[in-house]
Amino acid sequence: MEKDDRKLGAVLGKETTRRGFLKSAGAVAGAAVAAGKVTGVRPAQAAQAAAPQEKPLMKYLFAERQNCTGCRACEYACTMYHEGVVRPALSRVHVIKYKGIVDVPVICHHCDDAPCIESCPTDPKAIQKDSKTGGIKLDPELCLGAKCLKCVDACPSEFVRVNPDNGFPIMCDLCDGDPQCVQACLLQSGNPQGPCLMAGTAGFGVNMAYRDVTPAEAGDDLIRNLFYPNEDGERR
Amino acid sequence: MAVPKGGNFGKILEIDLSTQKYKVRKLSDEECRKYIGGAGMGAYLLYNELKKGSDAYAENSPIYIGVGPLNGTYCVSTRASWVNKSPYTGLLSHAEVGGHFPNEIKWAGWDGIYITGKSKKPVFLYINDDKVTFYDATSLWGKDTDATERLVMERIKEPFARVACIGPGGENKVGYACVMVERFRAAARTSTGALMGDKKLKAIAVRGTKAVPVVDNEAAYEAMVKAKQLAVDKEAWQGIKRWGTAGLLELKHHGTGSLITKNYQSTWWPDIHELGAEQANRVFWKRHVACAHCPVHCMKLGVIRGGDYDGLIAEGPEYETGGLLGSNLGLSDFDGMMACIEEADAQGLDGISVGGCLGFAMECVQRGVLTKADLDGIDLEWGNAEAALEMIRRIARQEGKGGKLLAKGVKQMAKEIGKGSEKWAVHVKGKEVAAHDPRGDKPRAFSYAMGSCGGDHHEGTSAATLARWGMINSLTMCSFVGGYPWGKETPKVFIDMLNPLCGWNMTDDEYWNTAKRIITLERCFQVREGVRRKDDRLPWRLMNEKLPEGPKKGAVFSEEDTKKMQDEVYTYFGWDDDGIPTDKTLKALGLDYCIKDMQAARKA
Repeated sequence: MEKDDRKLGAVLGKETTRRGFLKSAGAVAGAAVAAGKVTGVRPAQAAQAAAPQEKPLMKYLFAERQNCTGCRACEYACTMYHEGVVRPALSRVHVIKYKGIVDVPVICHHCDDAPCIESCPTDPKAIQKDSKTGGIKLDPELCLGAKCLKCVDACPSEFVRVNPDNGFPIMCDLCDGDPQCVQACLLQSGNPQGPCLMAGTAGFGVNMAYRDVTPAEAGDDLIRNLFYPNEDGERR
Repeated sequence: MAVPKGGNFGKILEIDLSTQKYKVRKLSDEECRKYIGGAGMGAYLLYNELKKGSDAYAENSPIYIGVGPLNGTYCVSTRASWVNKSPYTGLLSHAEVGGHFPNEIKWAGWDGIYITGKSKKPVFLYINDDKVTFYDATSLWGKDTDATERLVMERIKEPFARVACIGPGGENKVGYACVMVERFRAAARTSTGALMGDKKLKAIAVRGTKAVPVVDNEAAYEAMVKAKQLAVDKEAWQGIKRWGTAGLLELKHHGTGSLITKNYQSTWWPDIHELGAEQANRVFWKRHVACAHCPVHCMKLGVIRGGDYDGLIAEGPEYETGGLLGSNLGLSDFDGMMACIEEADAQGLDGISVGGCLGFAMECVQRGVLTKADLDGIDLEWGNAEAALEMIRRIARQEGKGGKLLAKGVKQMAKEIGKGSEKWAVHVKGKEVAAHDPRGDKPRAFSYAMGSCGGDHHEGTSAATLARWGMINSLTMCSFVGGYPWGKETPKVFIDMLNPLCGWNMTDDEYWNTAKRIITLERCFQVREGVRRKDDRLPWRLMNEKLPEGPKKGAVFSEEDTKKMQDEVYTYFGWDDDGIPTDKTLKALGLDYCIKDMQAARKA
């Protein structure tokens, strides 16, 4: 009986409808696979001191969820850059271990319609999108903090988490155009799968459907994707 | 008593299951520097807590889950060390296990968790930063590790928590029961599962939201980045990335000639190509999974598609599980092997010991000293995966004559069966040994025979590497990053990270002295329990039967090899001719509190 518990239906626990838009690996062609160098990430103070680099601004993040190994290097890099210490509880990008089997990277998609900004009740808005970098920034002076958190509910990706120290939502500012999580991921990924996190200047054609998936739904999809060939012998 | 400035919090969480109370035990910076953490700190705490010959199942007998100064910092691939007195061997034992569980302990603000007492009814713990909650686990009792982890996660409602739990094997106090950490990683070889079962502790969930204090952030960060680059650059480890340790199955078979086969009767099993990494890659693997911040991601997860075990999600094969539950059982059936590995994981049994016991029983059947009737009608013939699978379930539940017999372990089984079976009972200090045959891979004998706990495979391959591993297990670094690839860079790479992190000024000499202190302290514990030179040796078969075939045909681990190995270690660490640390050594290492016990041991 317990063997059956670990089968597809039991693991997923419910009948979920297949979402055709969630294609398997290969959605992003030509991703760089080669392992990079451990550079770029700096503690916050050092980063400020360093001269600005002549690099194109990265305006979008993308996560190839199937490639995530769950190492959380992105969380390390994120908090090292923003907080100067390793503290994944404050990381913007984060990885959820789903049902103990798959790892679901949760990122801010920096959507053009930005439901978080839409939902922000203050005037002027406490959450702003930086027009130059595309990063989402939070103004702690304006933010109502723990008593509001409308943005947490508004995010369709369930990305926004709350800072356990001060109750403010945690927003991804794309490290002002040079996302550290992407570099960290590239370095971890000398594997046949390639990196999970990617950044681009013009977006990856991320559509609403990809964004409108909660971590739990994404996790279920990943688990279902493990079962290939499926019962009908097809690839999904 | 100076408070640690960085790297460590200087706090251990002491949990008493009898009273369901917890308190903080303070650690000084001196203690942290002297014993580092993990296995070393565990040895220090347990040596002083337990008396000679104390009952491992006693109420005050602790389970220590220790992390080191590097955990939770930018350093790659950190682990936790589970330390306890093993009820199985009666010796101090430590198991290192990765995943994210160790770092969550650190981020919760603790250098370790020290669990004593016994609960009256099943409980599980949820440690969320400073807060410990005791949950009733009556409804989880009897569930396998897979269901337990999922149910615990549902109960605590914290998606970022990590869980370690025991299965039916631990509940029924099978000697070689392990703790499954994050479902697929085993803290095994220490009998911690049985101890947790005895304490009625079903699971531990941890979630931390703090940051580790660092003295010189920039210098520490720079050293850790360099160390990480070292791990990324090592070419050999690209193989582990790609193939996991399963890649070693073929390598050790064709190359080293040390892949155990049919209970150490041989090292030649051409069917290994049906079980190894190539086959796994073709039909089974779906994911690479990494521990915290690890660029190596050696764990491979797969799904069996089609056949009898269709839809089974399992992890592996690794070198040890694939060896002991594959070639060791004479299997040629990949799915059957994976089902056995997954069953051992789900039941919370140590894959190495359970494979060792099954292999031993199969040889007993082959030689006619054990019959089908003794095993409740289960046909333990070489290569019968279905029978092995059924037996694993029975062992975990101590069910029937066969299940009860195999749950006792090889040493005890040989005693009960008799009829010359002692000759093929392969164990060191009462514990089954891993999947590297030391006749083919001679340096591995150091790890088995001279390693502190006996029979373990990651303890070093010479006297100096024993010391190196003492440190790695205390820093709680992964063997596949800090152990083998950084080996030549030791101790520089560690000192460069530790000094700015903890605010120390450790030198190379201090590093090696600390390593020797940790190994010697572990040795003192074992000597106090009666371990001497006579115990530091390989089993009869490996020392007397020549390898009949394979690349190392004719090889045997001789008496001279043994003597040479023992002398090398005793001299290196400054122990006397019987393997007891001398007064001079103990004084030099600052282990004065062991002198009295060692003098008593010498007289006994």
